[in-house]
Amino acid sequence: MEKNKNTPIIALLGNPNSGKSSLFNLLTGLRQEVSNFPGVTIDKKVGTLALGDHTSAKIIDFPGTYSLFPNSAEEKIVINTLLNPNDPLYPDAVVYVADITQLDRHLILATQVRDLGIQMLFVLNMIDLVDPGTQKELSTKISSFLGCEVILASVREDINMGQIKDALPSLLGIDSHMTHQALYTLNPVELQMSEQVKTYLGLHNQYQAKLIAHHFHWLTFLSDEQKKQIRSLVSQNGFEDIRLQVEETMSRYQMQQNIVKVAARSSKGSKQTFTDNIDNWITHRILGPLIFFAIMLFVFQAIFTWSSLPMEWIESGFASLGSLVTDQFGISWWTDLLVNGILAGLGGVLVFVPQIAILFLLLALLEESGYMSRVVYMFDNIMHKFGMNGRSMVALISSGACAIPAIMSTRTISNPKERLITIMVSPLISCSARLPVYAILIGFVVPDVMVFGFFQAQGLAFMGLYLLGILGVFVTSLVLKQVIKSDSPSYLMIELPNYKPPLWKNVALTVKEKVGSFIIGAGKIIMIISILLWLGASFGPGDKMELATAQATAEAAKLQVDETTTQNMIGASKLEASYIGHLGKFIEPAIRPLGYDWKIGIALLTSFAAREVFVGTMATIYSIGSDSDEKTIREKMASEVRPGTSIQVYNPATSLSLLVFYVFAMQCMSTLAVTKKETNTWKWPIIQFIFMSIMAYVGAFVVYQWMS
Amino acid sequence: MRGNKTLDTLLPGESAYVTQLVENPYTCKLMTLGIIPQCVVTMVRKAPFGGAFYIKLDNHQMAVRVEEAKSIYVEKS
Repeated sequence: MEKNKNTPIIALLGNPNSGKSSLFNLLTGLRQEVSNFPGVTIDKKVGTLALGDHTSAKIIDFPGTYSLFPNSAEEKIVINTLLNPNDPLYPDAVVYVADITQLDRHLILATQVRDLGIQMLFVLNMIDLVDPGTQKELSTKISSFLGCEVILASVREDINMGQIKDALPSLLGIDSHMTHQALYTLNPVELQMSEQVKTYLGLHNQYQAKLIAHHFHWLTFLSDEQKKQIRSLVSQNGFEDIRLQVEETMSRYQMQQNIVKVAARSSKGSKQTFTDNIDNWITHRILGPLIFFAIMLFVFQAIFTWSSLPMEWIESGFASLGSLVTDQFGISWWTDLLVNGILAGLGGVLVFVPQIAILFLLLALLEESGYMSRVVYMFDNIMHKFGMNGRSMVALISSGACAIPAIMSTRTISNPKERLITIMVSPLISCSARLPVYAILIGFVVPDVMVFGFFQAQGLAFMGLYLLGILGVFVTSLVLKQVIKSDSPSYLMIELPNYKPPLWKNVALTVKEKVGSFIIGAGKIIMIISILLWLGASFGPGDKMELATAQATAEAAKLQVDETTTQNMIGASKLEASYIGHLGKFIEPAIRPLGYDWKIGIALLTSFAAREVFVGTMATIYSIGSDSDEKTIREKMASEVRPGTSIQVYNPATSLSLLVFYVFAMQCMSTLAVTKKETNTWKWPIIQFIFMSIMAYVGAFVVYQWMS
Repeated sequence: MRGNKTLDTLLPGESAYVTQLVENPYTCKLMTLGIIPQCVVTMVRKAPFGGAFYIKLDNHQMAVRVEEAKSIYVEKS
């Protein structure tokens, strides 16, 4: 990819929690798009900014970075771009955002970026929190220290936002790179090393060469030959990577001491006690976890209660759209494909949008306010024992609604192994799509009675199924912890930022982006699968479909049943004759040991696209027009006997075996699609599918053989 | 100048200043989070299920694992 010289690129850089992303949202509004950085699933947010005179610039919100000595995959992206002037995203200028109350830490990265010789505009954010008397002095001092323009601003209070916009054209107007003396003076070893790397790669900046010497082994723009050369230079020169990083960082802290002193003098220091008071309760050793579970219970409840109405609207909307199409154009193969294939599939995706939107709204609020990092702190130790990170807790609980947003939320986990384990085990938590399946089957296993006088037996069985899923998470994560190899170290070390009211604009944009990427990403795959399912159920080999239709019609005429029942009987025998019906018969031997017949086999196959399809498939197979009346389906299922015997098909053994199967089985195309998207390879969704299928099969087998 | 106490030995409520960091792959990360020699650290509380500490520095607060705290040498002021 050639770098586009016509549209200049501005990089937004700064530490996490500096207000960088809020500034990005304010500058670009809705004119932003989210994609991935090449080769990784880390969000790259690009916005367009009009600069007047019909010119515009691209502004990129780079991930929050502490220094050019990175730890997380997110930070490495930043360094990989800044060290390669040929990178298509290499910035023409940097807008650097620093929190004035955290200036000691936030200046470190600024001095490093300056030493790379990139044009910079320094935005000193949150000036509303400090004494106005020292602001001018501070701004002058920073300006002469870094040799760039400094703007005092507050993104939250909308102070001086116009000034930032106005300063951009002149920032880009400066043609050449900065040529001042670097702030950090290289020691003799560093100097020799940098000069050699600089000459070898034909670079212009000494500090850039030094950073390449530190990071060459993971920089993507270097060839293997170049890496080999630099590696031998490193050992020749005795270039001690870690020690030199520590020395440089210390030296940078020292050179900025005078400025930090002024900043420390100016702080009002009142917000601090506010955060302390909240944390005395919220991170309390006993109350903290209890408050966490109360919050999660609220989130879980909200996902179900707030979403039920919009979900009904979407479902009925798609149903009326479907009947509109049929009414308008009549019944033909293409309206059938459109209504029962595409529209059904699309509705199946969009029906989850309210749940996903609510979940992300609440999670974004918790994240924005600063609560999430407290959860990480409280649960890190437990999750660490299972090969995960504190943040995995949040994902696992989100899975109670739906594994898709849960898997997307694992992006906050920086250690790849911990993130991968979380992605792999999240679908084992019973999600909302399993509810209708549990609801219809549980009556065949557990009678509707009370135990100990006040527990509803079926309610307890429900809880048991959820606990079985959680047990699955713990066992699987322990296994994966042993199996997955990772050389990247695991860290906790997390900033616990001051509590602040969430910025609604940030929250709204997060929800919009997450929902959008769900619809587009998972939607595509759901569409394809539902079309395939439609094809498989609508066509059969040879003339078998026609024969089945004729037979069913004749039988219906003999029985003298009404029109609806006739149609249902035709539908049922067509299903048996269809490709999918043949597939059901084909897999019957494999599922026989679990206590299932070919009809259940079809339901297992169709509910691969989504679990809730089970109820719909049961309805079609047992010749019932709609799946809304669960009682009728259940009655039909209850009266179904194995051919030539009086044994119920849905006896307790088969039903419990089926329930256990649904607890563990990976029957969700969308989740596999998201796992693929988040891991960037088919390897992990395939492994996920295989191990969950094995758990489901073995679990169901053991239950059936033990009970029958 | 290295004291013999590390950060993990502080009791909740106790403060000390950092004397030295044991060099390891995450030292730089600790430093960029504000833990540098001469800075004052206060132990606030232990995590509910152990394994980590809530600590407070001059202008912000953070959490560290026990192993991370063991690499930070401190001396009571």
